[in-house]
Amino acid sequence: MTERPPALAVDRRGFIRLAGAAAAGWVALGATSDRMRIVASLTALPLDDELTRRSMIDSATSRLGGLIVGLRQRGWVEGVNFRLELRSSFGPPGRMKAAIQELLELKPDVILTGSTVETAAVLATTKTIPIVFATANDPVGNGFVESLAHPGGNVTGFTSSTAEMGGKWLQLVREAVPDISRVGALYNPSTTPRAGRFFLDSIEQEAAECGVSVIPVPVDAPADIDEAVRRFAEQPKGAMIALVDSFLVVNRQAVVAAAAKYRLPTIYPFHYFMDAGGLMSYGPTLEVRSADYVDLILRGTKAGDLPVQSPRKYELLINRTVARSLGLSIPFTLLARADEIRE
Amino acid sequence: MNETIDQGPSRPPPGRLFRKYLYSIVALAFAALAINTGFDVWFSYREQKQLLAATQREQAASAAIQIGQFIGQIESQIRWLARLPPELSTNEDQRLNAIRLLRLSPAIAEIAELDSQGIERVRVSRRVADRIGSKADLSASPAFRGANESRAYYGPVYFFGDTEPYMTLSTRGTGRNPDVIVAEVNLRFIWDLVTGIRVGNTGKAYVVDRMGVLIAHPDLWRALQRSDLSGHADVRAALDGVGPPSGGLVKEDLTGQRVLSTYATVPSLGWLVFVELPLSEAYAPIYASIGRSTFLLVALLAGAVLVSLFLSRRMTGPIQLLTQGARRIGSGDLGLRLAIKTGDELEALGDQFNRMAAQLRHSYATLERKVIERTSELEKARDQALAEHDAAERARSVAVAANETKSRFLAVVSHELRTPLNGVMGVLQLLDDGSLGEAQRRHLTTAAASGETLIALVDAILEYARLEASTEALEPRSFRLDQLIETAADLMRPQALGKGLAFDLVCDVSVKTTVHGDPVRLNRILLNLIGNAIKFTPAGGITVNATADRQDDHILLRITVRDTGIGIAPDMHERIFEDFVQADDSIARRFGGTGLGLAIARRLSRLMGGGLTVASTPGAGSTFTFEVPLGEAASSVAQGAVAPPTRQLRVLLVDDDPVNCEVGEAILRRLGHHPTIARNGASAVALAGEQSFDVILMDLHMPDMDGVEAASRIGKLDLPRMPRIIAVTADVSSGARERLTDAGIVRVVSKPILINALREAIDDDLKVEPAAVQLSAGGLIDRHFLDDQRELLGSAQIAKLHHLLGETTENLIDDIANAAATGDRKRLARSAHQLGSAASALGLVRLLERCREVELAASLMSLAECKDAARELAALQKASTSALNDLLRPVDSR
Repeated sequence: MTERPPALAVDRRGFIRLAGAAAAGWVALGATSDRMRIVASLTALPLDDELTRRSMIDSATSRLGGLIVGLRQRGWVEGVNFRLELRSSFGPPGRMKAAIQELLELKPDVILTGSTVETAAVLATTKTIPIVFATANDPVGNGFVESLAHPGGNVTGFTSSTAEMGGKWLQLVREAVPDISRVGALYNPSTTPRAGRFFLDSIEQEAAECGVSVIPVPVDAPADIDEAVRRFAEQPKGAMIALVDSFLVVNRQAVVAAAAKYRLPTIYPFHYFMDAGGLMSYGPTLEVRSADYVDLILRGTKAGDLPVQSPRKYELLINRTVARSLGLSIPFTLLARADEIRE
Repeated sequence: MNETIDQGPSRPPPGRLFRKYLYSIVALAFAALAINTGFDVWFSYREQKQLLAATQREQAASAAIQIGQFIGQIESQIRWLARLPPELSTNEDQRLNAIRLLRLSPAIAEIAELDSQGIERVRVSRRVADRIGSKADLSASPAFRGANESRAYYGPVYFFGDTEPYMTLSTRGTGRNPDVIVAEVNLRFIWDLVTGIRVGNTGKAYVVDRMGVLIAHPDLWRALQRSDLSGHADVRAALDGVGPPSGGLVKEDLTGQRVLSTYATVPSLGWLVFVELPLSEAYAPIYASIGRSTFLLVALLAGAVLVSLFLSRRMTGPIQLLTQGARRIGSGDLGLRLAIKTGDELEALGDQFNRMAAQLRHSYATLERKVIERTSELEKARDQALAEHDAAERARSVAVAANETKSRFLAVVSHELRTPLNGVMGVLQLLDDGSLGEAQRRHLTTAAASGETLIALVDAILEYARLEASTEALEPRSFRLDQLIETAADLMRPQALGKGLAFDLVCDVSVKTTVHGDPVRLNRILLNLIGNAIKFTPAGGITVNATADRQDDHILLRITVRDTGIGIAPDMHERIFEDFVQADDSIARRFGGTGLGLAIARRLSRLMGGGLTVASTPGAGSTFTFEVPLGEAASSVAQGAVAPPTRQLRVLLVDDDPVNCEVGEAILRRLGHHPTIARNGASAVALAGEQSFDVILMDLHMPDMDGVEAASRIGKLDLPRMPRIIAVTADVSSGARERLTDAGIVRVVSKPILINALREAIDDDLKVEPAAVQLSAGGLIDRHFLDDQRELLGSAQIAKLHHLLGETTENLIDDIANAAATGDRKRLARSAHQLGSAASALGLVRLLERCREVELAASLMSLAECKDAARELAALQKASTSALNDLLRPVDSR
């Protein structure tokens, strides 16, 4: 026995693990049908993004990984009783449409969408397949749901930052950089809610109170990001707010790189940007939430009966190294508020 | 012991008793177990439910406390903030403290600090930008007012952004102008708490606010839906302040699952914490307990069945053994011993059985011995009885033999007497050939009557014997009544006259008639009565009166015989009719007699249906009255003058006695018939086969075969015309008659043959045709016949007959010679007949035959023939006589 080749032992352990997981899935599912379920996911990120790469799925740190881990906890084992079909809308125009068509042809039991744009596109093609959106800043305003408590129809999901968060971002970036006189709002009008106005209102309101001018910095293409940031950074005493925008998430490396390149203090809405080397971020904590709803839907609950969930926690992340490189000193109030301070 | 060993392997199938025991024990065990288990389960169920409810209440209370603590912690935190001295901190410090608090308590979404006037100083939020010194007047807000009115204010639950349950919490600081801290608390954080509350494995706890709205539920989305549960009965009742039922409430939860529910109230908040446990889980221990109990019950029951089987077998085994033993003892196997070793009453019972069997065996042995003894005694008694019976039987045999001897004696006597009488009677009858004078005929008649009387007297003894044996039968025939009486009177008259007595016969005219009756018996009675009268009358006279009254269908003959004799004493009037009794012993000496006369007379009169009475006075004479009914005769007959026969018949006379043959033959010829003689049965049968006869007169007593056998042999000859057979016998008993009837012989003529009796018998015959008489030819003398006769009659008689025959034949030969010489054929015939008849008496058969031929042919023979016949007869007579002499001489010399 001791002379058994290690490779075989590993294989066998893997097999046993898989079999055990499968068995657990079967047992946990109990009365549910033994039909293989199809969970479709449409994301704006490219499939080679580290957030969507399959190798990263097992970790709960990403949204997709959280889903798979959460489903496994609820008895759904990928490859045993459900199949995850991942499609990306990243690419040339028309790519998204093709991706949606591919997913629909699979007759999925539920479709997960990444952001408002994908949600709207999928909703436009089906009114029967349950849709769970991962983030939507204004589902009622977008016409996705009737109300947050009782969405109705075939869609439910999770909201991200509320509209007044714009003022919060401005306050926080001002605490880090107290002497700014202008603040830029970076967004892609085609992918951010209400073409940026969703957050700009609260930003402008807050800016008016503290005597800061707001300058929208819209970008349409990844190649324009550097130029737009450079152009805003030409003026002194400026700071920038990256709005909730899937385009910015997809191109977060470019955004962070441009901000660093032009020494522009920027606050981001998600911690993904911090991973890319951003200065600070303030946004809802990623909690495993979609798995709960996917499970309920796979077990027969109508998506429209499930209330749209709002974020419960917000977290402030600050990278001191980046701050130092920008010559900034983080005040006590900000440090006291920060949930994580990276060096 | 062998029995038990034998019974071991072939134990009989359990019977009813076994089943009864088995069922009883099983039922008992089952009942006990079931009741025990039932109670156990019931109490366990109740206890478990109580326990479950109590546990659940505990859990609910615990959850309520945890939630209360959750809120209380937040309250104490903001209270800490409120109690910071105002002068100690600037606005900026206040903000920092608030930020610290937010960091400390994630459920607090926003903190506002108001001064004692309700003016907002600082507002720190997680979602919006902080406000410092906004001076907004919030003095009218419920939170400020509530904080001022009481130590802490708990606002109602409200929903932010449509889905997020929030609550406002405010407290007031201390001092003169205390600040008020208002905190907005995100109640979604209770979710963590609620999710963490373990209620069994699948149970859950949830929280509703004072309005009945769901604010926390493990399924987060349910709380986010702002579900109003106040419509639920239990929530409603709880909100109305009704305490939870002690045993918990069973209801359907939001998913339709049946759950056991209870709740607790969160202190100070008034919220309700409901704890629900699915029944499937809540009662699982109870069901498991019931299952265990049931399993235990089944197991115990199985055990009980096994034990019952064992016990029942133990109990019924000895009983079955007893039953079998009783059956075998009942069937007689007393050697059986029951081997029951149970050590209890059953063993005692088995022992009793054994003792009983032993006792029985002993009793049977005793009984058998007694039976054997009794049997041997009985056998002895039986042997003795058999011996006695044998002795009695021997005695009876001796008696029967003696009786038979007597009968034989009587028969021999009668025969001995009759034979000579028969001869006398025959001769007397033959004397009347129609040529006698009146006086001669009268004498002849008297002689004949006397002969008949003599025969009757001889028969008296026999008759008496027969009467005694009730075997006497009447022989009725028709006769002239007056003749009978007159003959009797004529017979007795000489005696009377000889004694010097007067004898008067007074016959009524009515007596001159022919009647049908038994003249012999009648005559016997009459002679007896007259004879007695003569005998017992020394002087005077005797008067005989006879009258015959014609009645309806018969004639009543009444005869009185009156005498003037010695008379009979009255006490003897009846006794004289008894056997061997006479009026006086001296009478026997004086008058002689047998004493049978009157006895026979009365018996005969009674046999005839009449009576005989006496009236007498001693010394004055006696009067015997004899009354008897007689039948009317169909036609009158005359005695003496023989009426010509209606027809000539061929008659075969079968008799071994030559005298009888002679007499019979003569009578038959007299009656105008053609007789043929057969002297034994065999020749009779032969003759019957050769010739045709109308009548056969069959003597019953013959040496070779008796008449009955001969008759039956003749019957078997299958003749074209069966002759009528008339038996000739002296035995007229009813037994003899039956025997004859069986042989087809209905007619009997008694011996000696009386001509009238024979005529009557033959005249009853139907028409018959005459047939040629053929005589059998043979030697000169029938030696057989002669021997028989000599044996029967005795040598003296034969010698006498021999002498008589010698004289008679000599005279008759002379007569024949004379008749032949003179051509007197009639005389020739008569003489030849007489010669033959005489010859027949001693068996001179050739002579007899020749005489018969001559007799028959005489009237037709020529003179020469007559002479030849005479010479031939003479020669034959000489030869026959010579032969007879030769035959008889040695006998005589002996």
